[in-house]
Amino acid sequence: MKKKVLLMGASGSGKTSMRSMIFSNNPASLTSRLGATIDVEQNHVRFLGDLILNLWDCGGQDAFMDSYLSTQRSTIFSHAGVMIYVFDVESREMAKDLEYYRDCLDGLSQFSKDASVFLLVHKMDLVREGERSAVFQRKAAELDKASGDFPVKVLGTSIYDETLYKAWSSIVNTLIPNARNLNTHLRIFAEACSAMEVILFERATFLVIATSSSSDASDSVVTHSLDPKRYERTSELIKAFKQSCSRLREEFHSLEMELAEFTAVLDEMTKNTYVLVVVHNPVVETAAIKMNIRMARKKFEELQGDTLIS
Amino acid sequence: MSPPQRQQEAYLKLAKPQQKNDPLHRSKILLLGTRRFIERTISSRAIIEHDYRSGKTSILQVLFKNLPSKQTFYLEPTMRVTKHPYDTLIPLEIWDCPGNITVDTLGAPLSEFASIVFVIDIRDLYQQPVVKLVEFIVAACQVNPNINLEVFVHKAEKLQEDDKIENFRQIHERVMDRLVDESPEYEQVPLNFHLTSVYDYTLQEAFSRVIHKLIDSLPYLENLLNVFCSNTSSPKAFLFDTTSKLYVATDASPVDQATHNLCCDYLQMLNSFGPLYKSNAPPQADTPDSAKPSTKAPFYPSASTSLSPSQPVTLTYHLVTPHLALVASLPTPVFEMRRGLVEWNVVWFREGVREIWEVEKERSEGELV
Repeated sequence: MKKKVLLMGASGSGKTSMRSMIFSNNPASLTSRLGATIDVEQNHVRFLGDLILNLWDCGGQDAFMDSYLSTQRSTIFSHAGVMIYVFDVESREMAKDLEYYRDCLDGLSQFSKDASVFLLVHKMDLVREGERSAVFQRKAAELDKASGDFPVKVLGTSIYDETLYKAWSSIVNTLIPNARNLNTHLRIFAEACSAMEVILFERATFLVIATSSSSDASDSVVTHSLDPKRYERTSELIKAFKQSCSRLREEFHSLEMELAEFTAVLDEMTKNTYVLVVVHNPVVETAAIKMNIRMARKKFEELQGDTLIS
Repeated sequence: MSPPQRQQEAYLKLAKPQQKNDPLHRSKILLLGTRRFIERTISSRAIIEHDYRSGKTSILQVLFKNLPSKQTFYLEPTMRVTKHPYDTLIPLEIWDCPGNITVDTLGAPLSEFASIVFVIDIRDLYQQPVVKLVEFIVAACQVNPNINLEVFVHKAEKLQEDDKIENFRQIHERVMDRLVDESPEYEQVPLNFHLTSVYDYTLQEAFSRVIHKLIDSLPYLENLLNVFCSNTSSPKAFLFDTTSKLYVATDASPVDQATHNLCCDYLQMLNSFGPLYKSNAPPQADTPDSAKPSTKAPFYPSASTSLSPSQPVTLTYHLVTPHLALVASLPTPVFEMRRGLVEWNVVWFREGVREIWEVEKERSEGELV
């Protein structure tokens, strides 16, 4: 199954940097070396095995934008599953950006009505820490107004912290058809392990696919009130460690921790997912968790198969 | 009270933060550098001073306060001598000095210090820092010939690879020339140069080497690590200070930078994971019991991560004292097939380190009396 993902936004807003960090495992420090994208760069990214993301990184210079909206209009906007529109938070030409954005939205609603739209207010690291939420609120209101009736989701991001992973996790979540089903099964698995929480990650990008805690937050998690940023931070930490492994030409394989606060195992679940099991009960041994993961593997392989056929 | 109990209580006591005027005899390290205003741009409204600082406070903050390297840019210059106590295997006290300090304004005789670390900005090829460095070396050697002298050629990340080596060599040469000018006998002064940067782990490595010279029990620790390595067929093992990521000791095999970096990254990851999934649950009824050490065996956090594929390696992490952890790379087959034996070895290693640690502690407390 192939899903087309459009990555659009003004020139220099950070589209290619973002893509290289999420899908090519480049560290944030190297993004300054990336050049401007000319026309459209197409990438096929294998995500979750049989699900292939067809990533269209569209160069944002005016000349290109004009041609996307006129001559290339149908090629660009047809069959799109998701459009991600990136805004630089410090953009000096917000009026122009918004105008192009509205035109793109028109094109999208003409050729692919059901596409979901994500607006990323990017480079949030440039805003002072105390003012971030206020600035983001203002931008979000402005963008909401510009989008009219089209349902959009606005997210603040920065490549220097975990917000990038949070945004992309919620983007890919819309592309996985049966994510809800996975959540339910993870919850059953968590109970079997007497785990506080179980999180499923995609193997290559380490984006969160599903978690055992439901959106209406089950009781146990509330009483333990874990850090709300934990999913994104985990993606970020593991990605960073994977990078340092690859510098040694090693490949990260698995991790188990018995720390003072909790016990956790991070291991392969299926051939394209990793699972993190966090247990707060000090009696539970890592070996037992590993055993449970091994037993659950087959079921999750099946589940994943189902997800992709439907 | 039985001996293990006493040990546990001592362990708990040390885990607590030190009191203000602690009665420990600390090994003192003096951190020196220069601060100069190189360039003044005078515009109609303001004078902009381009301030070249050597980076002493950055070093301290990155090592001991966990400041991300990117944030060091915003640090205020140090205006007066500040003393930073730090407890690792031995208690340390690091003096951070303002850039304009001289031997006379230091406020303490140089004989009190075990080590002097002189920080030079790698781009700073002018005479001033060299003159000052030599002045301190001469003064220090007169009062304490056994003092350890270290030079950090700092901010290595600012230059390209070739320039880096060239500037490093030039600074080295200038210092040596100047010393010989003072008196030919200073040619024999053992002076160690390190190329450092806060943006990678060269700083941790260099500072580790500074600390090694202050630990009298180092040979015994190294011996313990050697025994551990040969028993578990581990190619490399470090005894790390967990928060600063400095290694207190390592086995006899040479330290290869890539492995050291990986171990530091590993520690960094584990340090960040700890608070991430920490439960903030209100204390339950049974917690008062578990607080009593006598009812529960002491818990030592541990972790392991397996890497593939070239030759499967597992990085293990075992806390041995409240601040020290054993990080070893083991062949994965050994770790998986003989995990019990590996852990048995860790237990004995821990016992050994604990004994040395107790002796060091007794000594540092006793020396003052």
